[in-house]
Amino acid sequence: MIAPSRGIVKLQQASHKLLASGGRRSGHRGIASLAQTICDPIQSYVSDSNDPYLNLSIEHYLLQKSPPDSTILFLYTNRPCIVIGRNQNPWLEVNLGILKAGSSTTAKEDGQPVIGNVDLVRRRSGGGTVFHDEGNVNWSVICPPTDFTRDKHAEMVVRALRKLGIDRARVNERHDIVLDQGNRNGRSDPQDTHRTPYTVDDGAGPRPLKVSGSAYKLTRNRALHHGTCLLRSPNLQAIPQYLHSPAKPYLKARGVESVSSPIANIGLSNQAFQKQVQDEFARMHSGVPAAIAVDESLLSTPEISKGYDELRALDWTYSQTPQFTLFSHPETDEDPHAPVHDHLDTSPVPWLHPKIPINFKVQHGAILDVGSSKMSNQELEVLSTLKDQRIQELEKLTDELEGEEDDNSKAVRPIANWLGAMLPIVHV
Amino acid sequence: FTMKHIATKKVGSLLSRCTAPTRVSYASRHFKSSAIPRQHLRRQFHSTPALDVVKPYLLADIGEGITECQVIQWFVQPGARVEQFDPICEVQSDKASVEITSRFDGVIKKLYYEQDDMAKVGKPLVDIDIQSDISPEDEALLNDNDSNVPTLRPTPSGGQEAGLEVDRNDTKAATGDAPPPPPPQTLPAKPETTSTPSEGQAPRAVGKHASLATPAVRHLTKELNVQIEDIEGTGKEGRVTKEDVQKYAAAQKETPTTTKSSTPAAPEPQAEDQIRPLTPIQKGMFKQMTRSLSIPHFLYTDNVDFTGLSSIRKSLNASKEKSQKLSALPFVVKAVSLALSKHPLLNSHLDTSNAEKPQMVVKAQHNIGIAIDSPSGLLVPVVKNVQSLSIEAISAEIGRLGALARSGKLTNADLSGASFTLSNIGSIGGTAVAPVIVSPQVAILGVGRARVVPAFGKGGELIKKEEAVFSWSADHRVVDGAAAARCAEDVRSYLENVESMLVQMK
Repeated sequence: MIAPSRGIVKLQQASHKLLASGGRRSGHRGIASLAQTICDPIQSYVSDSNDPYLNLSIEHYLLQKSPPDSTILFLYTNRPCIVIGRNQNPWLEVNLGILKAGSSTTAKEDGQPVIGNVDLVRRRSGGGTVFHDEGNVNWSVICPPTDFTRDKHAEMVVRALRKLGIDRARVNERHDIVLDQGNRNGRSDPQDTHRTPYTVDDGAGPRPLKVSGSAYKLTRNRALHHGTCLLRSPNLQAIPQYLHSPAKPYLKARGVESVSSPIANIGLSNQAFQKQVQDEFARMHSGVPAAIAVDESLLSTPEISKGYDELRALDWTYSQTPQFTLFSHPETDEDPHAPVHDHLDTSPVPWLHPKIPINFKVQHGAILDVGSSKMSNQELEVLSTLKDQRIQELEKLTDELEGEEDDNSKAVRPIANWLGAMLPIVHV
Repeated sequence: FTMKHIATKKVGSLLSRCTAPTRVSYASRHFKSSAIPRQHLRRQFHSTPALDVVKPYLLADIGEGITECQVIQWFVQPGARVEQFDPICEVQSDKASVEITSRFDGVIKKLYYEQDDMAKVGKPLVDIDIQSDISPEDEALLNDNDSNVPTLRPTPSGGQEAGLEVDRNDTKAATGDAPPPPPPQTLPAKPETTSTPSEGQAPRAVGKHASLATPAVRHLTKELNVQIEDIEGTGKEGRVTKEDVQKYAAAQKETPTTTKSSTPAAPEPQAEDQIRPLTPIQKGMFKQMTRSLSIPHFLYTDNVDFTGLSSIRKSLNASKEKSQKLSALPFVVKAVSLALSKHPLLNSHLDTSNAEKPQMVVKAQHNIGIAIDSPSGLLVPVVKNVQSLSIEAISAEIGRLGALARSGKLTNADLSGASFTLSNIGSIGGTAVAPVIVSPQVAILGVGRARVVPAFGKGGELIKKEEAVFSWSADHRVVDGAAAARCAEDVRSYLENVESMLVQMK
């Protein structure tokens, strides 16, 4: 399913919908600036834009600029994109090769729907990797640290879901929202948002399905908790493809790894969900105003525009990756019997014995070091030209090396090619 | 004591856009537990004079039992000057990205980790050349020893100056809040402490910005003999500046009235009363039961021996699919229906629409309502025409209605028209109950849980018996005790001798 483009007509339609669901305050455009509302003790916003970079920038602005004792709800929906955590490794988490529309050969072969361009975004909060599309609504609550617990707002969303008839929803131990899959097995307190009548206590029952994951950003004065909510994503089947990276066996990384879970759609409309969450939020606080629509008009605010540019920068997306090591041959010392994934051709260095492993330490978006347990110093010397090579410039390097005929260039070229294939930089 | 500082990177000056700095009580922003001593009015400075000490500054517990977290980004380098509250670094653990800020004014001397390293909770994060006062509580954070995460305890004298702010995200000692149920936490998670277990949920004093000021300012307050808690801060983020103190002191001289001590301490409610309007089901129950209040209930309980029934069920179910297995309930329903055929009075509606002339409407059909516990509360779907249904058919119908109840799809038709109600409270528990009659019906049966009890057999030997308590309620305005008892006895004999049901089946 191709992400629908947001023309003016669509915008108006969307705004009509929001108006009907009690979301808008005025007109068809989002407010031009947050200056009037940013100091209010309770604020509620909903985004008309599906630009993930913009929505995250607005969210960040709200976090930075709102008074320490204010509480804010922000709801937004993104066009198809993959959002990785602040400290994650995109090469490890994401199948970067299929992000660009038309590049996914595997998808076509399997007869899976091709999604079109999928953005890659690194957010500022922690946690794991998630797939967003128009069937997923993101909710974000910013509040004082004193009011904050890791579960508080997940519980709010579960209450909203239960009021919409989703009685299988509950908050689990990881502060995610899941749908229990068991049979009705007994009583549970309807007020208990961590338990449903379908909850199985032993491991025997069917595994609950995850419908929402969340992450936090905590500063001195503010706590931000945001999460997804899978309502009606048309892309559930395709998501696993996007979140399995072919480079995974070749990478050893620090940083937070995603915890994989089976997912499901809840089966509600965005509008119904949004309205119910806003209602639930209003129940928790007094004086909650009607939700204010925001959109790209806010780019006129310098901090938002700056944050927007920062999120879009390749440097932020790729070079913020914590240090990791890339191996020419997947590490097999953990399980000597595990099959070696020869996803790419044998050794990247054809003139070397295929079994010579090379490893590359990467940090700050550049190659920190090249090492090998079995190479001679001389051979390593040749490869050391790759030190400090920026990953973003690998393509340029391979182009340069193309025509060169000297031995050293000939040696480095296939490695540079291989590196570029293993660590692609995709700008959708 | 001047405070020269080089501007260090500030993350978001939060109040720069707002006209009035919002005053939130410092303590209420940060503390939960009695372990944090900042509730007290600090009157004196700590006896330790301002020292230039280089101390290792420990990474405090960030909660959730996390023992290490990754350093994502440093905001300072060795040599950088920091003030209290300046961010030192950002760490990441699991799902949370957390800013660690400095508790002290001083100069960073050494970073213990590089970016991307895993920083250990309770171990030194940086070395800082401290240029502000150190209270005993702060001492705890500066020791590099294996007592690991120090806790903050109120000092016995209570008179120690807390020279420095403790910030939630500062490397402060873990406070041992009992994890469940968590009151709103200062830390984003449920902090566990590696030391003292006894920090309870003591009320936090909601004082003003008790110490939101630099040491120099506090010196001044001491000199001028004013309480810093009473002063309105106009500095950065609500801090009290020298000018504030001086102005206040001047104002104090003019108004001899005693200033109020800090705002009444409102203990942090650990649990709040919740106001909940009645759910639709509760409303229905409320109306119905209010009506039932007018009925004089005659209660009759008896034990029914289920042993025979259980063994029959077992042999019947042996050849059945799991979904077809018969529970005891359909047998009970059928037995009740058979008994109602013999005692039709109990299958009636009492019509009191005309107060002068109350009358009984003896119902021809046995529409037996089965009280079910659903996620939304008590529901009573009705099995219609039990007198014409076989036990298997009854069982299927109960299953069907149960599924509808669970998914919230019962219609009004399903829920109305009962002439008798059966409450299977035994599925949850209980022995004898006093069920409430659903008017206009005149009787109700509550079935308790079948339990295995010892009994004496024919030869006086000890045998196992399975018993359930049947609790009947009848409307004593129209049903007398004997009628109810006879009906109850019939039900009992049907269930204890299942073959006798056979000869009555139509």
